[in-house]
Order: sequence, then structure tokens, then C-alpha cells
Amino acid sequence: MSTEPPAAVELTGITKRFPGVIANSDVNITVRAGTVHAIVGENGAGKSTLMKILYGMQPPDEGTIAVNGAPVSFGSPADAIRAGIGMVHQHFMLADNLTVLENVVLGSEPRKGVALDFAAARAKIRDISDAYGLGVHPDRLVDDLGVGERQRVEILKVLYRGARVLILDEPTAVLVPQEVDELFGNLRELKAEGLTILFISHKLDEVLSVADDITVIRRGTTVASVSPSDVTARELAELMVGSALPVPELRDSTVTAKPVLTVKNLTVTGADGRLVLDDISFTIHAGEVLGIAGVEGNGQAELVEALMGIHAPNAGRVTLGDRAGNQRDITRASTRHRREAGMGYIPEDRHRQGVLLEASLWENRVLGHQTRPPNNRGPLLDRKGAKADTRRIVSEYDVRTPSIEVNASALSGGNQQKLIVGREMSGRPVVLLASHPTRGVDVGAQAAIWDHIRRARAQELAVLLISADLDELIGMSDTLAVILRGRFVAEYDPRTVTPEQLGSAMTGAGKEG
Amino acid sequence: MRKLTPRSVLLGLAAPVGALVFAAVVSAIILAVTGHAPTDAVDAMARAAERPRTLVNAVNSATYYYLAAVAVAIGFRMKLFNIGVDGQYRLAALLSAALAGAAFMEQLPSFLRITVTIVVAMLVGAAWAGLAALLKVTRGVSEVISTIMLNAVATYLVSYLNRPERLAVSTAGSNNIGTPKITEGGQVAGFTVEGSSSKLFGLIFLAAAVGVLYWFVLSRTRFGFELKATGLSESAAVASGVNVKKMVVLSMLLSGAVAGLVGMPQLLGSSYSYSLDFPAGLGFIGIAVALLGRNHPIGMAIAALLWGFLANTANSFDTSGIPREIVDIMQGVIVLSVVVAYELVRRYRVRAEQHAVGGALGRTKTLEEVSS
Repeated sequence: MSTEPPAAVELTGITKRFPGVIANSDVNITVRAGTVHAIVGENGAGKSTLMKILYGMQPPDEGTIAVNGAPVSFGSPADAIRAGIGMVHQHFMLADNLTVLENVVLGSEPRKGVALDFAAARAKIRDISDAYGLGVHPDRLVDDLGVGERQRVEILKVLYRGARVLILDEPTAVLVPQEVDELFGNLRELKAEGLTILFISHKLDEVLSVADDITVIRRGTTVASVSPSDVTARELAELMVGSALPVPELRDSTVTAKPVLTVKNLTVTGADGRLVLDDISFTIHAGEVLGIAGVEGNGQAELVEALMGIHAPNAGRVTLGDRAGNQRDITRASTRHRREAGMGYIPEDRHRQGVLLEASLWENRVLGHQTRPPNNRGPLLDRKGAKADTRRIVSEYDVRTPSIEVNASALSGGNQQKLIVGREMSGRPVVLLASHPTRGVDVGAQAAIWDHIRRARAQELAVLLISADLDELIGMSDTLAVILRGRFVAEYDPRTVTPEQLGSAMTGAGKEG
Repeated sequence: MRKLTPRSVLLGLAAPVGALVFAAVVSAIILAVTGHAPTDAVDAMARAAERPRTLVNAVNSATYYYLAAVAVAIGFRMKLFNIGVDGQYRLAALLSAALAGAAFMEQLPSFLRITVTIVVAMLVGAAWAGLAALLKVTRGVSEVISTIMLNAVATYLVSYLNRPERLAVSTAGSNNIGTPKITEGGQVAGFTVEGSSSKLFGLIFLAAAVGVLYWFVLSRTRFGFELKATGLSESAAVASGVNVKKMVVLSMLLSGAVAGLVGMPQLLGSSYSYSLDFPAGLGFIGIAVALLGRNHPIGMAIAALLWGFLANTANSFDTSGIPREIVDIMQGVIVLSVVVAYELVRRYRVRAEQHAVGGALGRTKTLEEVSS
């Protein structure tokens, strides 16, 4: 160690306590300069707290941070930026109706006297973009950019502010495989230029392919530092969870001949008159999981909202079969009607459609089920019944919470998701529309959610599964369809398809089906 | 409403009490700067508080402030801003006063007569608010804009109707005009309080009943749940099967109906006629009271009493040589600082709760436990 250059970042003995809980305890991480250092851990393991400490958003109670060998102490992110540490958040913080240039300079506008010096900023952005091969054009409107490009703008924003150490929080969560490859190309380029990257993820294959060093965090503390050449993804995952691992897989087929959700020629036009769903037809039978693969924004959201009755389709027919096999046309039925008929809904954006952040857990249990027992007695709320059932969900789905009276906002995303899944699976739904059911939840919870879906499937639940996690799609589906620009372009047998095949069909590179 | 623990009660009180203290300090500074002794103001208020009449008037004012606050709060609960309570109650008071004062009403038994008056007031208030609701759901017009404009329309409509050739009669020996006086059978008797020349409004029970009903509907019924859900997140409400347009219409109608009640205690308990000097601006006071009371049925009652007390002590300031406008300043500062204080407490509470949840995460279940 003594002959090597000082570490880009060295965290020693970091401990952070919140009243009654230790979020980080004795965390030690050494990040070598010019490397990609991955930090992996389950949700709630303390990764975010640690990164908040490193980015100056929270002070540690104990421990020291050293940047390039010199001890530092950050009072705010501004201090961290000054020390050359920048953070790219998981959710992009870009203004759509501004150009790349305007977005990048926002908050650190270059001045010439009192005027803004856009020319200098534009030149600087071009320089950075060229130097690291980011391919970002300063004058394009952010609205016109794809997800991958937006992410590069975020990276550029951080570099523009002089960062030499980049923290990337779950950067691949929103990308398709091809975009992930591009991102990794960029990261290697940044590394080659001497920058240091802290890469937070729980997608282990990716971590193994891009990282030089890996630190595993479990329950707030560092449990292992490994080199990617020494471990397999499974071993890494087991280090994360502290035990053996689940895989998404359906053992035997439970598909029956009983159609539950039949969609015929469904067509939806967007607000701008563009076709967002173009003549979609499919049937899901009792006990069947239909997986839909696709790059986000190709009509998945519209499909689900049309099926839930949130937006009316322009054409087409949706029929729902009940347990007895009676078919009913629900094309024009209200959302409440559909829910009462046994449609469960795990929305893609849980904060927008899945939970009331400022309401208690038991009130969230009622949400969407307010017209059905155990939540109501006629027009009155059955508070007792709802609370008792919330307790059941909390224990069956392992929602980590001290009480069912706390607001949903106090829970981590993974725990909110478990509550939603538990709620939507209660009352024996006949069909479940699941958009990204395990997004943002930890490995253990992911296994539990898969397990619950599998069990319900064995009891004749029909599932429409939309996911960005191709392993999940392949592992959990009985049938797989690929959606591209609002149309089903290919169908695959999940037993034979590879993620690469799916990936190219999703981007339109593969053969049209 | 959440469970009461000493901590939650303390947190709930921190904001309003802090805001009150802050407002008192600001008022004292303003008094001192303008050359008045803040202690004189305290004396004047203390003396006012000793007079039964001031207290009775304070409670009477609180009665209609409270009704106005509940009307506003119904909308607030689903992030619907009914700024039009003012126009709704004035129009409702005028029309129901004209009806109650009409000669043919004298045939009716007293109870029925009062009930009809009150129901008509509610219907008029609901109808006036319903206009804004219709504009919102059919044309997407912001209810803030439309209710403000409807206030102005109501003002002109009231002045147009309150004319001798239409609904009003001139009062002999005065230039006041108003609806014909409601005769005794149409009045609601008040309660005599010893030492006070004014009576306590009989309709104080109506206000209390409205408060209880408000609490019950919001926290115990499906409708109340859906109202709250829509207010917290419209998109989540839609996904859970709530028909948001229907909720907008229903809550506006309810809000307007309660707004229609605002003028009743005064009309049936003291004025007996809608005339030029009928209390105005109660709708706006209702907004302040609802804010201060956090839309909570008891919180708003306390806020209404405080407002009523402040408004009625203004008179005794005059005799102490202290400008009565200090009351307006004080009320203004309370509203501003309470909004800030509630936000601070809210943030603190969210953080405290997250810590509490963090505490429960101490143990991670093993996989076998999870999937077994």
C-alpha cells in the first residue's frame, strides 16, 4: 500500500446512527484512483446512507473520509463537489424543455460580467463530451433524448462541475441491455482518463462485468471486499443476502384452457394523436403468466392503463372471465368495476399510482379495495378489519415496519412494494397486472414476491407481467411477447429464448415476428 | 386521524402555539415601534376577557367562523380550493332570509319553518358552488379562479336583489335596507348568559353537529377515504377506482351546502333579516381558520374561538387608545407563521417516522424464513 498513490476515496470506520437504529456501522472502503468500484447490497443495507455521507448530505457520527489522502469533512453537497465528488442520481434531474446546455449550466451558470457566457459553456461541454466519448450535443432539447442519452447528460453535468470521483446510484435500472453496454463503454473511457467511479447496484452480472473492485454491504456494514475475478454472481449474491439464493423460475406449467383476460384489437391513441397501442390482441388463461418485454415507453404503460380502465381505448375489446368461466365484456367498465371483478394491479410507478405516501399503511391497504371486505361495511370504512388485514400482509409479505400506523413515506421503496403486492394479491384476484413487480426490492423480497405469484398462479391466477428485468421475464413467464412502438412484434418461448435475442427484438434489431 | 401519543399531541401543538407566540412577539414589536405600550394591549385584552358580553360575542362569531372553516376544509381535504364560501353564504343568507321573512311562511309550525330556511340556504350554497364544480369537470376551469369570480357575481346579484322593488323592504327611520324581518316563529332562540346583553346563538348546536358529521364522514366512511385519497394523490385515487370528477362535484356541493349554513346563526339568532350590515367576509376568515386548525374538526373549533375572541377584543382596544388594526396584523401574522410552522413540523415528523421505521429494520430475515 505504501508505494501506491493515495486512494481516491477512503472511508474509515464510518458509523451513522439515527435514533434507535444504526444505519451504518464501522464501514471501511478504500477506492483506488482510476478504478470502477462497485458497492453492492440489498435495499436497506445502508448503501444510500453511506453515499449520502460521502456526498455531504449527512454528516457521519464517527469515522473519517479522506479524498486523495487528505482528510475532509463535508457540510453539504457543495463541499463534496468542491472536493471533486459528484453524484448521478437514479432519477434524472433534468428539465425536459431546456436544452442540454441549459440543463448542464443550471445552478453553475458561467458569467461574463453580468451576462451568461453560453459560448464558453458550450465549448466546455463539447470538450468534455469529446474527451470521454459521451456523444452529447449541447444544443439538443432534453425532451428529444432517450433514456441512455439523458443519463449521459447527467454524467456530463457532474463532470462539468469538476468531479473526479463519480457516484452512480443504480445507473442501469432504467436501461435496456444495449444501453447498459454503452454506459459501460463510457465508464471504461472515464476510467481510462483517470476518473474514479463508485458504482452502486444490485445487478450482479453488471457489477462483475464493469467493476475493478467490489465491496459488499450487509445490514449497514461492509462484509466483504472482493475482486470480480474471484467470485461468481451467485457467490456475490449470497454474500449480499447472507444465505442461499432464489431464481425466478416456474417449475411446472399450470396453464389451463380457461381464458381469463382476452384482448382483441386494442388500439389507443395518445394525447398528440399518435398511435401508442396498435391492434394488440392476446389471451391470458387461468394459471398462465404472459410476460411482455420491451424498452420502456413502447406502450406498456398505456396497455396496462387501458386494461385497468384508467384510459379508454379507441378501439378493441377486453373480456374478463371469472372463476366459473363466464365471460364479460369490460371494455367500457370503470376502474372500480374491474377491481371488484377481480383485477389486481401492481403499477409501474408506485408513488404515482400505488400508494398514498402521506397516509398510514392500513389506509394504503384500503386503497383500491375500499369497496370490498375486509375494508368496508357498506358505505362505512371497517377500520378494524382493514387494520387486521394490514397486519396479516405485513407479516406474510415481510414488510419491515414498526407499526401499521406509520405513513407509507417512511418505508423504503422495497417495503412499499411488498405492501402493494400483498394488497393486490389479497381477495383472490382472477388476473394480476404486474408492472415491474420486483423493481427496487431486495433479493430476499424479490424471491418472496415471485413465490407469491407462483403460488397464486398454481391457483389459477392469470398474470400479465411487464418487467425490465429480462431474467425475471424469462424465468417467470409461460409465454413471452415483445412490444415495440405499441405493437407486439415477436413472441418467444421462454424456455428457449436468450436475453440477447429479447434485447434485439426489443430495440427492433431482431427479426420481426 | 392517527393515534394520540404524548409525542404526537406535543408535535401537533408545537406549530400553532409557536405561531401564536411568534405573532404575539411581532405584534408587540409593531406596537412598541408605533409608540404604544404592548402591556396596554395585554391589559385591554384581559379586561375584555372579563366581560361576559365579549365572551358571548366571541363564541357567537366563532360559530359562523367554524361553519365557514368546515366548508373550506371539505374542499381542502381533496386539494380543492373553495375560495367562494364568501359568495355562497351571502347569496344563501339573502335568499333564505327572503323566504323565511315572507308572509306565507308564518303559517308553518316553527320547527318546519326553521328547517325549510336552513335547507334552502344549504341548497343555494350548494348550487352556487356547484357552478364552479361543473366548470371544473366539464371545462377544466380552475375552481380557484371560478369561485373568486363567482364571489364578485354573488356580490352584484345580492345588491341587485336586495332592493325594495325586489326582495327587500326599507327600514323606517334608517337608510338600511334588507329582507322583511323574520317573525318570532322563524327565529331560533338563543341562550341568556348572565351579565351579557347579547345571547348565545341557539344554532351553536348546528355548528357542533356539522363538526361531528364532518369528522365522521371524513374518517369513518368510504366517501371520506376516497376524498382524502384524491387529495393526497389524484393518480393513485384514479388507479384505485375513484371517479375523480364525481368526487369534485360531490365535495364542492357539500362544501357549498355547509357554506350556505354560515349565515344562519346570525340570521336566525340575531339579525332576523338580511340587510346591508349583515356580516361580510366570513368566507375568507373561514380559510384562515381552516388553515390554523389544520382541517381538523377540533383544531378548527379552537381556531374559530381564538379568531372570535381576537375580533371581539378589538373594541376594547379603542378605549385603551390602541389602534384596533393591531388585531388584523396579529391574525395575519398568525396565518403566515402557522403555515411555515406546520411545514417545519411536518418535515420533522416525516424524518422522525423514518427513523422509527429504521429501528424496526434491525433484523433481516433469512431466505428460508421469507419463502417458507
